[in-house]
Amino acid sequence: MEEEKTMGQSSDSISIKDMLPSATVVGLVFSIITFAIGLFVGYYEISSEPSGSFFSPSTLSGSVICLISLLGGVLAVWHFVKEVNPYIKLGQGAALGFLTGAVMVILTAVYSEIWNFIDPDYTDQLVEATIANVEAMEMPDAQKDAMIDSMASSVRQQNSFLSSILWGIPITGILNLLTGMVGVKIFAKKEDEETF
Amino acid sequence: MSRFSNPILYFFVLCLLSFVLLASLGEMVWGAAAPGELHWTEKLFFDLCHQLPDRTYSVGETMMAVNTRCFGIFFGIAAGWVVLPLTGRYTAGTRWPVIFLIAAITLQIVDYLGNLTELWQNTNHSRAFLGALFGAALSVTVSDLFIIRKNSKS
Repeated sequence: MEEEKTMGQSSDSISIKDMLPSATVVGLVFSIITFAIGLFVGYYEISSEPSGSFFSPSTLSGSVICLISLLGGVLAVWHFVKEVNPYIKLGQGAALGFLTGAVMVILTAVYSEIWNFIDPDYTDQLVEATIANVEAMEMPDAQKDAMIDSMASSVRQQNSFLSSILWGIPITGILNLLTGMVGVKIFAKKEDEETF
Repeated sequence: MSRFSNPILYFFVLCLLSFVLLASLGEMVWGAAAPGELHWTEKLFFDLCHQLPDRTYSVGETMMAVNTRCFGIFFGIAAGWVVLPLTGRYTAGTRWPVIFLIAAITLQIVDYLGNLTELWQNTNHSRAFLGALFGAALSVTVSDLFIIRKNSKS
């Protein structure tokens, strides 16, 4: 009881408003890291010769970005427990994880929009580099054409504000919802009984 | 004595995971996209999966929306979640689920790096299997949080 008074309120009174600072801080840090990695690899691909390989630097960075994105839920709960309330419940941790995933997706989309102002040619250059890489691959022309269309659409979607938010939030949110629960398991202090 | 807690959260997450798993099956379940268009399921997973055709399960002309490792992860999470009420009874108060999770993550990284540096070559099946192990570990790790031990009250 002593600790509750000093560290924060009971977990029953935790609201979405209380979670926003943790979701924002962690979402901000992680979105900057993932966006910076994506940008670095994007320019690397633009400036290098097409390899004709399926396994490009962007697929490598994609795996790294994926792993980093999943950590958001865990670290948001860690931040919340440390700064706001150590007695976060399982459902609240899940909600905080989802919120953090959503913040990451939204902020990454915002950075993309900002970068489109800074370097308006970036998306087109990346599409061209992607097409050049597919054209260098050894495969039948019909398959190549289909792949070029599909990959070009992928790159454009990633750099389209609304599209990346609408399609990005559900899965990133759900996976961070799970890792948010892992965060509760690792960092939260136990109350006598938990109910959703 | 123990009892299951948070049933609403459990079923809510079960619905979400079922949706993720079904969506990951892509064209195999949801039909092919128009030529030159991205399938809606591919758009859904675009941020988190590189979706390389040669690393994706396919049946005839249709492909999954995610690569084999991601499919394994989603399958493992969903399968682990389904049996969570059972596993939770054996994980409460023990450390092995977290050790299992750390081991599964380490295996993923080692397998990924080994393949990247050409120490060995992984296959679609091996990637799916290791992914499933990681996914199941994720669900098992939180399983004890859904179990309340009545004699733990003091």
